[in-house]
Amino acid sequence: MANTRYDTLNAKIATAIEERPQRDQLYNAMKRARDSRRSALEALPGGAGFRKEVRQIKLRCQSKADDLVDQFVQNLEKRGANVLLAKDGAEAIGYVLKLAAEKGARTCAKSKSLTTEEIEINHPMEDAGLEVIETDLGELIIQKVHEKPFHLVFPAVHKTAVQVAEIFRRETGEDVPNDVNEIMKVVRRYLRPIFMNADIGMTGANVGIADTGAIVIETNEGNARLVSSIPDVHICVMGREKIVETCDDAVMMLLAHPISAVGQHTTTYVTFQAGRSPLGYGEGREPRETHIVILDNGRTEMAKDPLFSDALNCIRCGACMNICPTYGVVGGHTFGHIYPGPIGIPWTSEVHGLELAGDFAPLCISCGLCKEICPAEIDIPMMIAGVKERDAETHPHPRVNRFLMDAERGAKMGSMTAPFSNWAMRNGAFRYVMEKVVGIDRRRDLPVFRRKTLEKRLKRRGPSPVKDPKRKVAFFADIFANYNSPELGMAAVEHLERLGCEVVYPEQVASGYPFIGYGDLAGARKTARKNVLLLKPWVEKGYHIVTTEPTAAYCLSKSYPKLLDDDPDAVAVAKQTTEFFEFVDGLEEDVDTTLAGRRFGFHIPCHQRPLGEGGGAMAFLRRRGAEVEVIETGTCCGMAGTFGLKAGQLGYELANAVGEPLFDGFRESGVEAIVTESSVCGIHLGEGTGIQVWHPLMLIAAAKG
Amino acid sequence: MPSDIVTRFKEKYEILAGHVHLCATVEEAAVRAAEICSESGAEHVVVGEFADGLAEPIVSGLDSAGLDVAGPDFKASEVPAAIDRADVGVSGPAFVIAESGTLVEFATNDVFRLVSTLPRVHVGVFREQDLIDTLKESGPRVKAYFDANSENATVTFISGPSRTADIEMKLTLGVHGPEVTHAVVIEA
Repeated sequence: MANTRYDTLNAKIATAIEERPQRDQLYNAMKRARDSRRSALEALPGGAGFRKEVRQIKLRCQSKADDLVDQFVQNLEKRGANVLLAKDGAEAIGYVLKLAAEKGARTCAKSKSLTTEEIEINHPMEDAGLEVIETDLGELIIQKVHEKPFHLVFPAVHKTAVQVAEIFRRETGEDVPNDVNEIMKVVRRYLRPIFMNADIGMTGANVGIADTGAIVIETNEGNARLVSSIPDVHICVMGREKIVETCDDAVMMLLAHPISAVGQHTTTYVTFQAGRSPLGYGEGREPRETHIVILDNGRTEMAKDPLFSDALNCIRCGACMNICPTYGVVGGHTFGHIYPGPIGIPWTSEVHGLELAGDFAPLCISCGLCKEICPAEIDIPMMIAGVKERDAETHPHPRVNRFLMDAERGAKMGSMTAPFSNWAMRNGAFRYVMEKVVGIDRRRDLPVFRRKTLEKRLKRRGPSPVKDPKRKVAFFADIFANYNSPELGMAAVEHLERLGCEVVYPEQVASGYPFIGYGDLAGARKTARKNVLLLKPWVEKGYHIVTTEPTAAYCLSKSYPKLLDDDPDAVAVAKQTTEFFEFVDGLEEDVDTTLAGRRFGFHIPCHQRPLGEGGGAMAFLRRRGAEVEVIETGTCCGMAGTFGLKAGQLGYELANAVGEPLFDGFRESGVEAIVTESSVCGIHLGEGTGIQVWHPLMLIAAAKG
Repeated sequence: MPSDIVTRFKEKYEILAGHVHLCATVEEAAVRAAEICSESGAEHVVVGEFADGLAEPIVSGLDSAGLDVAGPDFKASEVPAAIDRADVGVSGPAFVIAESGTLVEFATNDVFRLVSTLPRVHVGVFREQDLIDTLKESGPRVKAYFDANSENATVTFISGPSRTADIEMKLTLGVHGPEVTHAVVIEA
């Protein structure tokens, strides 16, 4: 398993996990951003519905990007702006350096611009003798210690007040106390003369408006206002994907950015700048210029790539970072190159190279939450799978990932060789060897394998006893309910039959989500095609595909159509697929109150977030008299399917670091047991909390004795 | 009782740490603006542009309170220093968004932008009729302004004081721009 690349990443993860209080600070910051977003959306008319509008706008504008760039440039020039279409960073930097030399500029005050970070413009400017000062406080802090942004929106979120005070003591020679308010007073005194005296002001742009010839810059601090109004020369460096068509489009982006990032309704200052205004009147009036550098740097190529073009819809809000479970532990220096976090993986791959992206891509555990929070509904996990797949051509998948992608083969074998396989799973020496050879952590309490799988049991039982069914169901078991817990599968089937459904067990293969998670899209497509082919005849006969495993429901209904380019059969299967309790929700009428007086903590598996968020299962429990409370941190539990089964940092250790706050939440809640539908989340939560974990159907079965 | 839209604006603006003053008439608003300056301990006040009919009464209100009022016709050679020296900037937004607590400033000279950026305190004076409900409704107004000004023009949305939370996510006001912002609403 020699792989120095993983050794480097593992070492970084190990350090990040140990690093306190930074790790807690990062976790709290991310949680606060998530929570604020959620409450802001509750107050926003239409709630998260704005995401659809944002996506529509981005797709429309990307589809005619070349025309919009032309229109934007024409309108900018009409307003007296100088425009450069830069094919790459070198061209952009060359233009800026030449301009600075012509103007005899000595200082450049910058407001935050990720695009200038992308092309790393500060170093060549400094080498040319310019003093370059970042005026966004977070950027200024990391500039002073020569670091890269830790987060898109909070670049210095990993620094403590004590560390920042030390930075400004060094910088100003003043005695700066370790207190945020006192530091801020020093910063104001430090920055004001920089704003007043800069020769060049440099900004990015959050949006460019084609039909108006205006750039739009958002800052909470107001620093972009100062650097774009005081210096005689203003330079804006922006990516060409930021151009939208109209002012209305721009306003939608202004809503989407801050609400997604931090739950703010609008950013405190939003500047729409068209051309360059004079400063003052009459005598002493200097000519003032604006230069708009529109950067390509791989974006045009990206637009042609069917998978990666989606990354151009990114509006740089940072929400994917806020919700990403592993980013929330390790931060942007481990989870990122220059662009951090989930969206940083495809962006790094496209603008800084596949190799650099592959260095941190394994940190994505494919929980899919970034896709659910993204204001432009970008399928980030699928693009990351694409990065992992391309990267595997030069850096083959580690053995454990290959083993887990082919989990069904292992399950079949385990099932065939049961009970021997189960004895082996409980044998310390065998588990030690399995950890060393396969890479499955020996501490994990793995589920047993059953010789009589659900498939065998149903075959032996014969056809469904239900005549004149209310509904017809084709049951999709995936791995757990077939090989590990056929009791769960049977309970589901019998429950459906009691509700008057005819149930069949169609030929099927496991959903194959691990292929996406570990980055083998060819394998994922093959599995998807196979299942679609097998399930299609049932769908055509009016059967509903029902599954107890949330990830299987997600895979069939969300991933397959995407993998198979919206193939009509895949779409038909997707439309007919329902998670068990969502399906049952409309069918149950009179139930007993088996669970009266009992109180449970409910865990929502990530893949269930877009599938009703466990509403069906909770209603199922509540109908039976239980008190059910969702316990959550707003992100993943850390298990992420099979990720947490793996030995090492990229597995067990990181899974537990992610899970800790959730484990605490369950322990502090005082609930008698945890209920979740996911087999793997259940293992993780049980081990992490020491609390009993139930699948809702198994809970009912146990309660009834 | 203030109208619904004024109430919505006030609630939101106060959440953003801004101060709201409701006045029945322009004259009352002029007096209130001068009081805010005095209460802020201001000596030097700079003024920017205002909606029609507001500039004259507001500026004379400030003058008669004995404040040193400068602007908005600064010579190019005296700015930005003359604005940076001021303790308070007073100006009027073109329109205001209730939903987000946003004062929208139109400018074709950067003097007006600096009046609301450099001084520690900013006072925005506007009439109730210039309030609109939602952020989404602002697009056509922004567009119309840019269409009417075919060369340089700047539109700025300002929602409360300058804020940063870049150290330990602790919110701090006024590190870069104004620390205190006031909205004076004329309900007549």
